[in-house]
Amino acid sequence: MKCYMCALEGKDTEAVSICIACGMGLCMDHVIREEVEIWEGGYPLPSKKHEKTLPKMLCEWCYAAYKSD
Amino acid sequence: MISLRKRFLAELIGTFFLVFIGAGAAAITLMITKGTTPPNVFNIGIGVLGGLGDWLAIGMAFGLTVMVLIYAIGHISGCHINPAVTIALWAAKKFPGKEVVPYVVAQLIGASLGSFCFAIVVGINAVTVGGLGATAPFPGISYLQAILVELIGTFMLMFVIMGSGIDRRAFPGFAGLSIGFTVAAVITTVGNISGASINPARTFGPYLGDLILGGTNLWNYFPIYVIGPIVGAVLAAFIYEYISSEEKLPAGKVIREK
Repeated sequence: MKCYMCALEGKDTEAVSICIACGMGLCMDHVIREEVEIWEGGYPLPSKKHEKTLPKMLCEWCYAAYKSD
Repeated sequence: MISLRKRFLAELIGTFFLVFIGAGAAAITLMITKGTTPPNVFNIGIGVLGGLGDWLAIGMAFGLTVMVLIYAIGHISGCHINPAVTIALWAAKKFPGKEVVPYVVAQLIGASLGSFCFAIVVGINAVTVGGLGATAPFPGISYLQAILVELIGTFMLMFVIMGSGIDRRAFPGFAGLSIGFTVAAVITTVGNISGASINPARTFGPYLGDLILGGTNLWNYFPIYVIGPIVGAVLAAFIYEYISSEEKLPAGKVIREK
């Protein structure tokens, strides 16, 4: 799979990941990795945060959409 | 996990609201009915304006408060706001022993502050007429009967907590709703028997407030609201654990792919 964003710029780059929201192939230059905290449990016990975070791979467009109100 | 200091504060705030709103509703009901003639010795005032409806109103004040607090702080501290629940969760090995005392202290402080604040905003009638919503067995109810009914009421509360909150097979998101309604239902029926505390902290706050502010000293009844709720909650936790546990597969029927 090729990087969609690179293809738009007229470049031919191998994709290294896929946007989890839209499925777009992304190269290292265009992928945005967001570390998502994982909370476990809840009522009637306090929630616990996992030591490790969950990586979420997104393209620039989906990342911007998630961050907008 | 959120620090114990912050969870301590969450439990304190939660129990404050439980007593201010819940026990406050009981005190307000007594104040509203002041001046009416009790028709019989069993009726000390509550019930004059609508019988069991008064208890339903008090129960709903408690139940709705518990429900919204579970959704507000359930993920922070667990929203026990009840020493019996904290102790039962510890007994069932769901809650660390070293955090039981801090939680119970927070609940007792929160309940006491709730009572004192209620007295401040309502005035001395909240103490002399409303008794700050303190619980006591009604005429004709013996000490042992009161312990037993508190045990039964708290058993039901803890049973629902285990089934709707602890058990991960439960339908998610409905613990607060079901537990709030449980509290309301228990108080509606048990209210005119023992006062329906089902929570040692809920009784501790008004008792302390009444003692300091010149109300009736009811501390001789306090063991009812410690023994009944704690025994009931612990029993419910163990019995729920037993009836909800899966039977282990016999060794011969265990299937291993590799």
